[in-house]
Amino acid sequence: MATTVDPLPAEGPTEDPMGAAGPRPGRMRLSPAVWFLAPAVLALAAVGIYPLGVAVVNSLHRYNLARPNAPTPFVGLDNYVAVLSDPSFWGAVGRTFAFLALVLPAELALGVLFALALHRPGLGLMRALTRVALVIPIATTYAVVGLIGRLIFNRQFGVANQALSWVGLPPVDWLGDPTLAFVAIAIMDVWQWTPFCALILLAGLTMVPRETEEAARLETTSAWSIFRHLQLPYLLPGITAILILRTADVLKLFDAVFVMTRGGPGTATELISIYVQRVAFRVFDQGLASAQAVILLVITIVLSRLYIKFVYREV
Amino acid sequence: MRHTLTSLAAAAVLTFAGGASAWTLKEAAAPYKGTTIKAIFLDRPGYAAAQKLIPQFEQETGIKVTWEVIPYESSRERQVLNFASQGGEVDVALVDVVWIGEFASNGWLVPINKFTSDPKLADPELNLKGFFPILLESFGTWNKEVYGLPFDNYSGLMFYNKCMLEEAGFKEPPKTWDELLNTYGPKLTKPEKNQYAFALQSRRGETQSADSFMRVLWPFGGSLLNDKFRSNLMSAESQKGLEFRQQLMKYMPPGIVDYDHAEAVNALAQGNVAMITEWSAFYSTLMDPTKSKVKDCLAITTEPAGPAGLKPALGGFSLAVSSQSPAAKQAASWLLIQWLTSAKMAVPYIEAGGVSGRVDAYKGLEDKYQFVKPMVASWQGGVPDYRPRFPEWASITEIVAEWGTRIMLNEVSVKDGAAAIGQRMEAVLQEAGYYEGKKPLLK
Amino acid sequence: MAASSTAAGLETEAAGRAPVAATVWHFLALAAIFVFSVFPFYWMVTTSLKSQADALANPPVWLFTPTLEHYAAALFTKEVGATLVNSLIVGTATTVLAVGLGTPAAYALARFEFRGKRDLWFWFISNRMVSPIVLAVPFFLVARSLSLIDTHLVLILLYLTFTLPIVVWICTDQFRGIPPELEEAALLDGASRFTVFRRISLPLAMPGIAVSAIFAFIFSWNELLFALVLTRSQARTAPVAATSFMSGYELPWGEIMATGTLIVLPMIVFALIVSGRLVQGLTMGAVK
Repeated sequence: MATTVDPLPAEGPTEDPMGAAGPRPGRMRLSPAVWFLAPAVLALAAVGIYPLGVAVVNSLHRYNLARPNAPTPFVGLDNYVAVLSDPSFWGAVGRTFAFLALVLPAELALGVLFALALHRPGLGLMRALTRVALVIPIATTYAVVGLIGRLIFNRQFGVANQALSWVGLPPVDWLGDPTLAFVAIAIMDVWQWTPFCALILLAGLTMVPRETEEAARLETTSAWSIFRHLQLPYLLPGITAILILRTADVLKLFDAVFVMTRGGPGTATELISIYVQRVAFRVFDQGLASAQAVILLVITIVLSRLYIKFVYREV
Repeated sequence: MRHTLTSLAAAAVLTFAGGASAWTLKEAAAPYKGTTIKAIFLDRPGYAAAQKLIPQFEQETGIKVTWEVIPYESSRERQVLNFASQGGEVDVALVDVVWIGEFASNGWLVPINKFTSDPKLADPELNLKGFFPILLESFGTWNKEVYGLPFDNYSGLMFYNKCMLEEAGFKEPPKTWDELLNTYGPKLTKPEKNQYAFALQSRRGETQSADSFMRVLWPFGGSLLNDKFRSNLMSAESQKGLEFRQQLMKYMPPGIVDYDHAEAVNALAQGNVAMITEWSAFYSTLMDPTKSKVKDCLAITTEPAGPAGLKPALGGFSLAVSSQSPAAKQAASWLLIQWLTSAKMAVPYIEAGGVSGRVDAYKGLEDKYQFVKPMVASWQGGVPDYRPRFPEWASITEIVAEWGTRIMLNEVSVKDGAAAIGQRMEAVLQEAGYYEGKKPLLK
Repeated sequence: MAASSTAAGLETEAAGRAPVAATVWHFLALAAIFVFSVFPFYWMVTTSLKSQADALANPPVWLFTPTLEHYAAALFTKEVGATLVNSLIVGTATTVLAVGLGTPAAYALARFEFRGKRDLWFWFISNRMVSPIVLAVPFFLVARSLSLIDTHLVLILLYLTFTLPIVVWICTDQFRGIPPELEEAALLDGASRFTVFRRISLPLAMPGIAVSAIFAFIFSWNELLFALVLTRSQARTAPVAATSFMSGYELPWGEIMATGTLIVLPMIVFALIVSGRLVQGLTMGAVK
């Protein structure tokens, strides 16, 4: 298995990924493709598209699940108008992007530092051990990350406050203060996702041809110059991938925050998914929630389309 | 209650006519032996008490009772999803005082009439009049029809640490909210020692709207709605109450907007705050030496009064039979509810840590349990529609909770926040049809 | 794999030159990264072994007498065990299904040319980006009308919305890496496309398939929102059990953390065993 490392070069900046597929398959007839594709397409259409259709239909009606006896009249775009003019919705959208702006640079910067430390020659065993340790945050169930966050940032017996006391700072109420709660959920996110960034970037670093790197190290002692001129170009594909994936993930972010703060205190950590969940499953206003979901979907598709167009080689 | 009398009479007639012995649970349950029913419970003392008693019921009836313990914050969600999807998963519904309108008007609950009029199922000693009227009225009744029997009953009480009060030179607890703010607050608050005079659980959710927001409206003469169902939050009285809460925050621990019941109770139990206004149900937690450091200093009184008098918080749950269950399960569920809330079981229930809704149960217990006297006093006054119980409450509580916490966090002023709540709340009520005379103004 | 062998080579050549001070700093940096990655997990596990009094101690205690009582409580009274079994069933089934459906599609995307292929590929991948809340609402209504609420089946199907894109994404890459010459020889011998796919391409693509299966399984195991909305008691999954502690009057922190550990530990052990593959997967399509 270890011999099939060919997918790796495909990520390299110099390779042309289209080369392998080549023009040859173009001569194939269409029909086998249909048979190969049909099961997956049908399955994904059934679980992905059909419910979306239901959502669109619901978004055009007044429909509250908790009022089974009430009529569900067609209301046109009323729900969309209500969502777009709802400051709470925009508050949640703004908060989500603020969160992204907070965690993404932190995760990238730390990820680069981690990757460089793991890439640096020497201390083989320690590096191997540390690299394995990076897997732990990645594999931790997001909901449990929220539970751990509540434990660590607890006002009375949280270890975060103990750490503050070691440097002579008074305890603070992490989850009771709007700003600190936002910081706390960001810290848990950075904990979970920095290792992910680090591993992707580490893979980028290993693409740097060994001889070139050796030569560069002999020529200059400036780590910065090696990073900037030699390593960074190899990191760019990974960085772009991280940008795309983390953006999509933050738009989806629900589990950890739901468990940790449920969006509180007040609305301080109410990200967009938490807000839609509240409308859909606490107020049970399916019309409004569906309209919110559709708008969120449009935002996601536009962003990911842009991103994918921007970076990913397409088939 | 003529209705009860009739069924009593009917039962009596049948008994004599059949020449059988008096009604017994065992006989009534005989046809349902082996039936399994499922209840929704919370993680609170009253439910732990019920869990201790239920084996007796199972033994006597052969009915198997299962339950699922759900966090309060998800319990309505869970039941609405079940009922709306015809899940048939819940037989004994748990009905918070603020859900009765929604559950009943959706047809999810069986009116108890169906059972009380059936002599085979109605215990002749049921005696609905034996419940505190305010409890049966607000927890169990919607539009003059009784659906549920009061099971887990709360009144807001003031729990305080008399040792801390004495140390600060107070022999008695504050009688009014004003006193609490102006006299007791400054003397009992020592932030450098992590000590505060008062904690008012205010986490966003039902806790914010029921325990925090509404608690400062009524005593000051304010209310959420006027009798035309328009917002009453901009009235001078309501504004005064809400302003009062902002001032009182000086004497509360920081981060109070993240305090739920657990945190408030724990703050008193650990000696960090001197006073809390909490549900009567927490008495057993606060008296448990493994959870509370202040057992010997604990004292209880009624909530402080406001300019409008004593208007303590009212809350609690009734148990009701799901209309979606098959007939046998409905009957078995009714027998459980009737038994669990009966006058006969009231004292065992209290002794197991529950708070019964039966008037007579407390005679002679005033000295044994400190909470009894102030609670009974609170239930004799009190506002039955402390929170409106109409189906729209579910939407309104979300609005109140969101803006109520934002007011406390100073993200909006009291005036703007109250106006925002009023406007959104009226939109919900408008949509529901209250302003066009389509719907009776029930709360 | 490739990464580690390259690094190992570098290291032996460079080890002699690194000044001592730099090595010390390097060691400290690695130690810091190690502590950063492990600490929250460590704290959860140790808290799960503390008595309630130790768990609530202020300031927190670092040394204590361990107890297993919380695990007994979590497994027997909270029935976390049953939720773990549910997660296992759902995770395995949806992974198998995703691989079964996804590999032929990936193969077609890698091997055939046809109109709309880019759009189709994009559509597959973009499902990965869709917020679960977008689907949860309508899917609940659909599942309700089909009486699928609280069944394993509904989760298995719904989880295809994120497992299928992973499989398609990684495996398309993988199939593209297989030289077409191998297949063409067989086609000339008269084998059908499907036989070629099954006998030749599929075995060669195994590494990629394994990686995508691992990711599909981990993501299914960790999923919360769908499970929260669509399950009640019979099909409740482990992450839902983690949310059952959000209120209540005295939070049993030991038990909460024991539950968390029970949910996370199988996945971490699994991820550590396959960590080589996992890292490979991240580099392949930068999956997640």
